[in-house]
Amino acid sequence: MGEDKRNEGDGEVIFIMPTNYQSPITNHPEVMPIQTLDISPVGRVEGDLDVRVEIENGYVTNAWTHAELFRGFEIILRGKDPQAGLIVTPRICGICGGSHLSSASWALDTAWGTEIPRNAILARNLGQIVETIQSIPRYFYGLFAIDLTNKNYRRSHFYDEACRRFAAFTGTSYEIGLTISAKPVEIYALLGGQWPHSSYMVPGGVMCAPTLTDITRAWAILEYFRTNWLEPVWLGCSLERYEEIQSYEEFQKWLNADVKHRESDLGLYWRMGLDIGLDRYGAGVGKYVTWGYIPHEDKYNKPTIDGRNAAVIMKSGVYDSFTDTHTLMNQSFARENLTHSWYDEGTEDWHPSDRTTLPTMNNNKDFGGAYSWAPAVLHQDLGRLEAGPLARQLVAGGKHGESWQHYDPFILDVFKKMGGANVHVRQIARVHEIVKLYRQAERCLREFKLNDPWYIKPKEKDGKGWGATEAARGALCHWVEIEDSKIKNYQVIAPGTWNIGPRDGAGQRGPIEQALIGTPIEDANDPVEVGHVARSFDSCLVCTVHAHDAKTGEELARFRTA
Amino acid sequence: MTNVLWLQGGACSGNTMSFLNGEEPTACDLIANFGIKVLWHPSLGVELGNNLQTLLWDCVLGKTPLDILVFEGSVVNAPNGTGEWNRFADRPMKDWLIDLSQAAKFIVAVGDCATWGGIPAMSPNPSDSKGLQFLKRKEGGFLGKDFVSKAGLPVINIPGCPTHPDWITQILVAIATGRTDDIVLDELHRPQTFFNTYTQTGCTRNIHFAYKATTAEFGQRKGCLFYDLGCRGPMTHSSCNRILWNRISSKTRAGMPCLGCTEPEFPFFDLKPGTVFKTQTVMGVPKEIPPGVNHRDYAVLTVVAKDAAPKWADEDFFTV
Repeated sequence: MGEDKRNEGDGEVIFIMPTNYQSPITNHPEVMPIQTLDISPVGRVEGDLDVRVEIENGYVTNAWTHAELFRGFEIILRGKDPQAGLIVTPRICGICGGSHLSSASWALDTAWGTEIPRNAILARNLGQIVETIQSIPRYFYGLFAIDLTNKNYRRSHFYDEACRRFAAFTGTSYEIGLTISAKPVEIYALLGGQWPHSSYMVPGGVMCAPTLTDITRAWAILEYFRTNWLEPVWLGCSLERYEEIQSYEEFQKWLNADVKHRESDLGLYWRMGLDIGLDRYGAGVGKYVTWGYIPHEDKYNKPTIDGRNAAVIMKSGVYDSFTDTHTLMNQSFARENLTHSWYDEGTEDWHPSDRTTLPTMNNNKDFGGAYSWAPAVLHQDLGRLEAGPLARQLVAGGKHGESWQHYDPFILDVFKKMGGANVHVRQIARVHEIVKLYRQAERCLREFKLNDPWYIKPKEKDGKGWGATEAARGALCHWVEIEDSKIKNYQVIAPGTWNIGPRDGAGQRGPIEQALIGTPIEDANDPVEVGHVARSFDSCLVCTVHAHDAKTGEELARFRTA
Repeated sequence: MTNVLWLQGGACSGNTMSFLNGEEPTACDLIANFGIKVLWHPSLGVELGNNLQTLLWDCVLGKTPLDILVFEGSVVNAPNGTGEWNRFADRPMKDWLIDLSQAAKFIVAVGDCATWGGIPAMSPNPSDSKGLQFLKRKEGGFLGKDFVSKAGLPVINIPGCPTHPDWITQILVAIATGRTDDIVLDELHRPQTFFNTYTQTGCTRNIHFAYKATTAEFGQRKGCLFYDLGCRGPMTHSSCNRILWNRISSKTRAGMPCLGCTEPEFPFFDLKPGTVFKTQTVMGVPKEIPPGVNHRDYAVLTVVAKDAAPKWADEDFFTV
């Protein structure tokens, strides 16, 4: 990448001040030179994420995120068997493979007009749920909490305890957390034979027909997970006690009620996160999206694209924090813009199903032009949206949707009491979901009727389909178009695609780019804060098909004073 | 102390995720009990900033002994052989690979992408991906047919999409404990200890295979997946039914046909229309039959087996 290109780019980007950001410049009348920091790659984000930030007076004032790997899954899928997506798309992302499989099969179900037995809906949901439960400790300990042992935080009085618990490989909680993360997906293996990368969900249902022993083993695995880590290590209390928490105040009450709560990993993280200021940066775009997920086993047996919102237990929606309003999300609202991405597809906003996926041959980084394999994903009316557990939980606090759908006001309340999004609340949202997902897993096991059908053979036909779910790290969906009994077009928008995207056609930053603005950098040679922001999105670039990436690590490639 | 550096090219992280499911030993045990030092790993690495770059260069220059280089993901060569579509640490990943492959004592390719090119290399292979020493079944790959690492071995291929955690950890342990002489490779550079037997070896549906009793459609508790649903278990080399997945099951046990993912041709037939989850047949007889059996004998066997089949072979077997 040439120095000249970088300078061109720097000059052309529009600077948008986030609403809750106090410019450091106003605090320090003497303007310091801008420092430019290229971090290639930002590590432990599950995917190749390179970030460029500009720093003034120790704060990030501008940022660019780029996805650095292109594999071309949409291109690979063209002309293939209609069911090829069931094999290929889980391999887009080994972390969220079950989520891709789920989206791929629901997409075919809507295209073929299948009928799905209730057992099969439950079996798909259970696979999705245990994959996400797996991801929570693996993400928290493996990817996020390691940074709490960074020397930046040595002055925090929680530091020694954080090192004892969270140090890589040897920390007491790291070891049990990472090891126990393998347990939930054993349930996935009971249904699909293995995790990752099974293809047990197929149009019309599932391939498996579990027996009594599978179900009882699954119960035992859940119990093991609960009694060996979730309650004693993570919560320091019973699931029932934790479920009483409905508001910020009730969380504080819980925290202070018992030393076990305070000293649990959740309690320690909450206190340390605030102590080291993770609540003070990482705001982002302030609007949030979820497709909703976990279709009800009796409400989506004849799946259609339009019928999905009214059939999912965890509701779909968009939360706009500027107006404090909740609305339903619909696939027809999605747009992609390639102005700043390495595709030769023009500058207009496309509905994803109309995209042609034409990668450019020359992927030079040009910060005024194209600089990422990720497209910019937008809502046709609301612009850029953040996807992920925080988005799901902010939507869960809305009164929109069906009266029977899941409602949980806790994270929305924390969000409001903290004055909006930040790294800390994103973390809390992520880990908050584990208890409710545990309950949903129990529910699936209770609801299976072992002697009822698991599969109804569908008729293959041409048509268009759409399937969606929520991967651990956010909104995921697939569009499929079948013509002459083969795939004409296949398009995926992964959670990383929403969050990692570069600037859009109007020059608006993507969610992570925006969230980086205002981040304090204590040591530009070790910008752990940038990592915190990126990792708080759990941005899995291997998931962004259009964007692609596959790495992690963390390397300060260059540091210069512009 | 055995130094391990793990990098990813055109990867989905699936082999890393699989690795983290390992139980005997666990990833943490490897470090605590077997003297393995993970110099860096994409998901687990602690080093950041200049430290990582220094670490990589120290490996390249021999300042840090690089005992094992583990590579996950395909080697991306697009566009035009430059590898610019997969940059890592501001450099094409393939350039890092060239340098590191000269320094490493052993190289272990984990997963289909690193061994044969995998899904990214599927037609039309938009990223111009290759495996380290093969492209599909063709020898050569990225490093070339004659490449050997410093220890004198070719790249050790541990295929699978993903590969089984025990296949990875046990090879790492074998190297760390000086058992490299016992790692016997087949013609595709796979350790025979895992890849000499067939996926079918140990499958709970073997008895149905013997009586030619089919699982005609999904969601059944009987039959063998070979006859109608495209299962490749009899033709695929792996230990999936000897060393179970997630300690508990395998795809064929659960009712999912084997896709043959430890073989270089995966995904078979490039997933052309009509090939997915459907046995390819000629006049009702599977086109591909277990290796070493001739078609005429197989036909005779089929007739006899069907005649001999007990009634229960067509009834629910794995009952509630």
